[in-house]
Amino acid sequence: MPLITLDPTDEGTSTGFALAPRPASLHGQTLGIVANGLGLSELFFDALAEQLTKWDGIAATEKVVKPSVAVPPWPAQWEQITGSATVAITGFGGCGSCSTRSMRDALDLEVAGIPAVCIVHTALVPAVRALARLAGVPDYPIVEVGYPLNPTAMWTHDEANELAGQVLDGVRARLTA
Amino acid sequence: MTLASTTLTHDDHIEAIEAYHGLGWTDGLPVIPPTPEAVEAMLVAGGVDGSEVLGTVPTRQVTVTAEKAGVNAVMAGCLPEHFPVVLAAVRALLQPLANPHSTTATLAGSSHAVIVNGPARDRLGIFGGQACLGPGFRANASIGRALRLVIRNVLRTVPGGLDRATFSSPLRYSFCFAENEQFSDWTPLHVQLGYQRDDSVVTVQSVMRLLPFIEFATEPEGIVESLSDIARTNGMGRDEFVGDARSVVVLIGQEHQLRMLDSGWTKEAVQAALWEQMTQPTRGKIDKQLVLAHPANVLVVAAGGPGLAESCVITPHLSAPTHERVVFP
Repeated sequence: MPLITLDPTDEGTSTGFALAPRPASLHGQTLGIVANGLGLSELFFDALAEQLTKWDGIAATEKVVKPSVAVPPWPAQWEQITGSATVAITGFGGCGSCSTRSMRDALDLEVAGIPAVCIVHTALVPAVRALARLAGVPDYPIVEVGYPLNPTAMWTHDEANELAGQVLDGVRARLTA
Repeated sequence: MTLASTTLTHDDHIEAIEAYHGLGWTDGLPVIPPTPEAVEAMLVAGGVDGSEVLGTVPTRQVTVTAEKAGVNAVMAGCLPEHFPVVLAAVRALLQPLANPHSTTATLAGSSHAVIVNGPARDRLGIFGGQACLGPGFRANASIGRALRLVIRNVLRTVPGGLDRATFSSPLRYSFCFAENEQFSDWTPLHVQLGYQRDDSVVTVQSVMRLLPFIEFATEPEGIVESLSDIARTNGMGRDEFVGDARSVVVLIGQEHQLRMLDSGWTKEAVQAALWEQMTQPTRGKIDKQLVLAHPANVLVVAAGGPGLAESCVITPHLSAPTHERVVFP
């Protein structure tokens, strides 16, 4: 007599969603930054905002630092970002739970109609890909930061500033049409 | 009873066990094949409908139902009468302050301690005495394992995917024990938390570090000083999210408890003395102040057996201990 058993997994399926429409350029856009406070990543985000302002004509920047590395922003922070930002970056995806939570922040922003990009260290790409698959958008584009930079953002000030220049093209490409 | 889970068909139990290994649905050890009848028995014993939602993990778009907890409890080797405790443990884990996404995905590989208070301990044989943190106690082992299988299979905490632990921990196979309430007249943890003495209550605390230490001091002050030192040497993460709920768990072993009782120390006195020491300002690179709002944030739990003058400190990942009353239908 055959033995019948049950699937123990959540069996949840997501059909995904359409990404927010991208502007033709970043000129005049308001940049939202959803930072998780990991290591020196805030310094990196500040440097990145400065470069996007200088080279791409970003009009304003709105930054929030979440209350912990792997949690959603406080509701007031979410209002602050979604109330003003027209494009956004999230991260830094350098630890196990913060990388995937930053990916979720980016996906939530897309659903709210704000083009976003999550910046992730190479070491954590499998994690954010797993989360993107759960969300039904397995190919969601990210900007990747590689070695020799430390995954958990234990960088020098110089490294944080130099990294901003290194990711500039990737961020621009993923936030514009 | 209508169950929603997808069914699988096997020739026999051995084939089913191997199939579950092959599908990545085990912790590496064999599981009990979860038949619909066995899962229904769990749900009946828990007094819940399979569709009842125990909680969610929004970051992962995951909803945990009683049925999925039941499937994993069967797989873990639970008896139906264990299931009310499993339900409480899952609900506690899914409270926001338990930070279930962070504590199950972190590079640090944190695990979770399930601490049981009240009559459920004797009713189900959940053990808090000699060797209680180790193997050999069915209720401890299967309830703790059920929570871990829920984390693996429902929350999708799988190495290589969402589980990013650098080393992980053997505590992730199973970690459940009871407070040794009968050893003395110390106030049980759940009564300190405001529950009735005849309530059964589960406390779930993430485990960043389990720090056992041996101290042969004969006075309570010396024991407290050593306990505080080992906690301060390791330190504890802090963030705005957990805030004033940040807590540390201290397991007081029997030999240490005897010395404290001989000196007339209540559990509350132990908490106050530990809090005083743990929250002193940082004194150096390997001595870090623990930021704890109140002596009640030092959760003191009596456990373990006689012999060695040993206690343990459990420091958390970025989360607070959460509590759920066990509901027996």
